[in-house]
Amino acid sequence: MRRRTVLKHGATATLVGLAGCTGAGDGGQETTTTESTTTESTTTGETTAETTTRAGLSGTLRVATYGSFVDAPSSSPGPWLKEEFEKRHPDVTLEWQTPENEVNYFIQRAAQGVDIEADVYVGLNVDHLIRIDEQLGETRLFEPTADALSHYGHVKEGLKFDPQNRAIPYDTGYISLVYDESAFEAPPTTFQDLLKDRYQGDLIVQNAKTAATGRAFLLWTVNTVGEDKYLDYWSKLKDNGVKILGSWDDAYTAYGNGEAPMVVSYSTDQVYAHRQDQDLTRHQVGFLNNQGYANPEGMAKFASTDQPELAEAFMDFMLSKQAQKQIAQLNVQFPATDWAPLGEEFQKYAKEPEEPVTFTYEELQGNLDDWVDSWARQIAGGR
Amino acid sequence: MTRDGAGGDATSRGDAQARRAPGQRVPTRWLERHALAVLGAATAAVLLVVFYYPVLTVFADAVRVGGAWTLDVVADVLTDPFYFGALAPVFAGEFGQVGAVAAESPLGLVGFTAYQALLSTVASVALGLPGAYVLSRYEFPGRRTLRSLTILPFVLPSIMVAIGFVAFFGTNGPLNDLLAALGLGPVNLLFTLEAIVVAHAFYNAPLVARVTTAAWESVDARMVETARSLGADPWRAFRDVLAPQLLPAILTGALLTFIFTFMSFPIVLALGGFELATVEVWVYSLVQELDYAEAATLAVVETVLSLALTYAYLRFEARQSGGGRAANPPARKRLLPADPSPGAALERLGVLAYALVVAVVFAGPVLTMVVESLTGPNGFTLQYYRFLVERQVEGASFQTKPGVAVRNSLLFGVATLLAALPMGVTVSVLTARGGRWARLADVAAMAPFAVSGVVVGLGMLRGLVFGVDLFGHRLQITGPVAIVAAHAVAAYPFVVRNVAPLLGGVDRSVVESARALGATRVRALLDVELPLVASGVAAGAAFAFAISIGEFDSTVILATGSSSYTMPVAVERYIGNRTLGPATAMGTVLLAVTSLSFVVVDRLGGRWEA
Repeated sequence: MRRRTVLKHGATATLVGLAGCTGAGDGGQETTTTESTTTESTTTGETTAETTTRAGLSGTLRVATYGSFVDAPSSSPGPWLKEEFEKRHPDVTLEWQTPENEVNYFIQRAAQGVDIEADVYVGLNVDHLIRIDEQLGETRLFEPTADALSHYGHVKEGLKFDPQNRAIPYDTGYISLVYDESAFEAPPTTFQDLLKDRYQGDLIVQNAKTAATGRAFLLWTVNTVGEDKYLDYWSKLKDNGVKILGSWDDAYTAYGNGEAPMVVSYSTDQVYAHRQDQDLTRHQVGFLNNQGYANPEGMAKFASTDQPELAEAFMDFMLSKQAQKQIAQLNVQFPATDWAPLGEEFQKYAKEPEEPVTFTYEELQGNLDDWVDSWARQIAGGR
Repeated sequence: MTRDGAGGDATSRGDAQARRAPGQRVPTRWLERHALAVLGAATAAVLLVVFYYPVLTVFADAVRVGGAWTLDVVADVLTDPFYFGALAPVFAGEFGQVGAVAAESPLGLVGFTAYQALLSTVASVALGLPGAYVLSRYEFPGRRTLRSLTILPFVLPSIMVAIGFVAFFGTNGPLNDLLAALGLGPVNLLFTLEAIVVAHAFYNAPLVARVTTAAWESVDARMVETARSLGADPWRAFRDVLAPQLLPAILTGALLTFIFTFMSFPIVLALGGFELATVEVWVYSLVQELDYAEAATLAVVETVLSLALTYAYLRFEARQSGGGRAANPPARKRLLPADPSPGAALERLGVLAYALVVAVVFAGPVLTMVVESLTGPNGFTLQYYRFLVERQVEGASFQTKPGVAVRNSLLFGVATLLAALPMGVTVSVLTARGGRWARLADVAAMAPFAVSGVVVGLGMLRGLVFGVDLFGHRLQITGPVAIVAAHAVAAYPFVVRNVAPLLGGVDRSVVESARALGATRVRALLDVELPLVASGVAAGAAFAFAISIGEFDSTVILATGSSSYTMPVAVERYIGNRTLGPATAMGTVLLAVTSLSFVVVDRLGGRWEA
């Protein structure tokens, strides 16, 4: 049985020119401030409506997330989100939290019955949900919120990854190859290509046990070659000299230093390369079998929050047109909704696969650990 | 426990003194007499709270699964050929299977980990010993500064080292450019076992050099002279007189290196590729998946191995010391020999060759990292340093500021040094008298470096950060004090291992004379013994400071939600989406600040030493 789910979602390409903004692509610098002011006028109606309906909100909202969402040296959406949300709700203070162990920190706290001192978590993926449900059983860490969000209807259907609607997608990446054009007569276009002699030693991937991109690539191979054959596929890939490094940073740095002409990364790669004035021939995006593995990121409201309305207001704000645009551009990922007024730069340089694939929660539940563990045991151990 | 011998001794003598001299000086006298016992108790208390309690709660996961006691997980791990290779069927009692498993995976993950640790140890000792020889036997301008800086690699965050290594040894890196200029083919060092071994040597050769230099500077040269005057040739004098004085230090370095490299994981992850995964890499990923039972079992296996090695080493050390000597190092040679001879010339040539190797292995990666911080996509740039300044001036409260990181690192470093020195010296004295119990206590006191960093971190998270329910109150420990305590616990074993072997070699009769003349145990220690082993104390102090500056795991965990982050934490946080620039700039700041601090720490220590 082939476990494949084709994502059905509105093509982002139809949004060209919707908001009439200039985009960040003009000077290679992030022009966040000017953009938000230009586009602000087009969405005034909506903003006012929001402000009036949520007028009574006040207090401190504690939002936990992963470090680079608020504190990346390149660009991160955190500071913009805080400023803009506080502007819309003058009596609210947004407090970012970035525990080192990310969502594990809260799973552990919940498992030990320790108080959770956050209202919303930003940065969940389907693996996390499976881990949460396996570890905590009946204990609820997050609560379903979809019904309370006025913008939920704009979330692309194919990206919704939580059957219980706790995690609401706010952006997505597509895992793809990034390669150096000058190194190949013809880059590989299928998974079988990667096993050919002429691509010997050419690919760097990440460890599926420790890196989200590596895990996504592994799941993509399971999805494509099948549950029964993926281990064989990997043993051939290993024989063909694939390099498996620990993290996305390690792998991308090694690729940047010319250790191999191909690396597993995101299909938004050129957006950042362009901003940095880098040679785009070294940042070509390649989809295998015309596919890309979708890795949506979600947010959820903690079940223990004592400010559910404030938490929901923030989540709804995350799905608003403006926030969707800023999150996409600053986090260098695709928006999760069908109405983000993306800039020209993003339109031009972010590539979407023809056929996005991903495993659903139900397909991964009960299988994920086995798949990853069998893979790891086959690769590791210095044999 | 360990305090009985020395402490009891001090008390009986103190009683006599108290009768002789009553009056207002009693409190200070009392303190002086009981100082060792008080310090011993304080050390034990800190260890218990910041180390033993958290770590044991994690280890308990190995045998307590889902609320029930069980040995199933332990048995599963021990009999799994993936972990133990050919030993697994032996543990399972299925001796017939040994051959089949040995053909399939002879070493297993644990065996492979030990194998790479052994190679790494050999490389570290081979690279470190000549360094110790040069630093202790030669006099040249900048020798002291260089000696101070030997410890520098030890504190560099592994992320930074990995960046430097990948850039320097890479296919298109400076090393291959250099080799190409010399007409030599490119070397592909990265993502191989060799890369891991060289990177481990980068970290641990300085440790071997440092510990051995301290011992070499406190040898008794008169013994060598006596041997020579009795007709021994230089080689024989070295083998029979000098080598036994150096051996404990060399083995200390080798033991620490083996344990570290056995538990290494960030370097393996970044430079080796997953095929070369170690046990610790596995523990790390199991913890990420919250699979505590298996992670804890593997961590216990690691710890048992490390502690067994430590115990074996301490038995050896006990046999070695007790010779009784006073420090009286031989005079240093000059780099340009006073009277040129073929032998002297050959030796200098060797020193030169060694300097070249050092330049490649140490200076290469570090300088490459500095160069990276000044190079953007279009050549030379100061943009990454501008980022640091901007972040310091304009950064939001939830963002990491470089100035705060520098300040915290220095404060924690000094505080750790001040806490770890007394702890380490106390443990050294209390366990120096030998005997089986003292050695066991010594092993218990050395445990902080025998336990995996991942486990210590996890234990702290669940024990200290989450807090413990005590009489209806949740007791939580985080923030600067907890960080310093954690750093001191990680650092003091280095003080012990630098001081104890030298202390064991001090002539007992000198100390006993002082005690007979009425000195308290502490007085004798401060006035007689410590000055004799000053080089070891200074080395220990430098390590304590270094450990604190370089520590990562417990710092991030205990600093959660506060502004107590340090320089290595900042380096890690500045790794951006597709850019290492800000991270390398912060790394360069770390390099500059720590280099300067080591020179200062060493000079201050050196003044006291002289």
